[in-house]
Amino acid sequence: MAETAAPEIKPGEIQEVESESKSELEPGYLVICWNDPVNYMHYVTHVFQKVFGWARKKAEFHMLQVHEQGKSVLVRESLEKAEHYVHQLQKHSLHATMERDE
Amino acid sequence: MKLIGRVKDGLELQLPLREKDLLWQLLRLYPRIPSNYPRLSKGAGLQASSQHLLEEALAESRGQNQHTLQTLLNDPQRLKPHEGGGWRLKLSIGDVEWLLQVLNDIRVGSWIQLGSPESPLRVLNADTAPDVWAMEMAGSFQMRLLEIIEG
Repeated sequence: MAETAAPEIKPGEIQEVESESKSELEPGYLVICWNDPVNYMHYVTHVFQKVFGWARKKAEFHMLQVHEQGKSVLVRESLEKAEHYVHQLQKHSLHATMERDE
Repeated sequence: MKLIGRVKDGLELQLPLREKDLLWQLLRLYPRIPSNYPRLSKGAGLQASSQHLLEEALAESRGQNQHTLQTLLNDPQRLKPHEGGGWRLKLSIGDVEWLLQVLNDIRVGSWIQLGSPESPLRVLNADTAPDVWAMEMAGSFQMRLLEIIEG
């Protein structure tokens, strides 16, 4: 069993924790694919692979999320990149939108 | 639609006479999705210019697809009689991706024409039959093409 290491911060001391500010987290647009009853699951998987260059397993994971949960957040990107992805998905007639990540 | 073989950068398909006529008839329906249908966002946080950009991009894509479609439908080098019967259709991998996109526009557009039903239509009548036919035929060709390229 591994030993428990002694804490580096003593009680009463304040540790400064590095955190990413909101601006560092920018870009902030979510590309979302929504479920619909017309697009075939097989086709949706194919389009995810093609548009995002994903492996089949990852594409299937997101396709199943769309199918079972009604939507899947595919990527979080800058405005320009998110627009690009939504354009690509909509060219394939998938129900995709982008929303600001508040 | 059957795979004859894979050639450099593409594949050759055999289409029985009737199937070729069906596919050509179906492709002439493109585009089917109304140009004002796609929305960039469900929320109100994006500018109207972004929505306009989407509409412009889709209109450009639609124009290119229509041009490619006319080339396919009228190019005698693409479609030749097959010695085993029917037709031999030569497609590059890019053509197949493009064809999948066009077929899905026809499928989804036909579904929109039917009122975007949540479940399969139970009433087939003179009004709904053409759209149901287009939706189901486009889906059938799509699935066959996917099976072939992923086969």
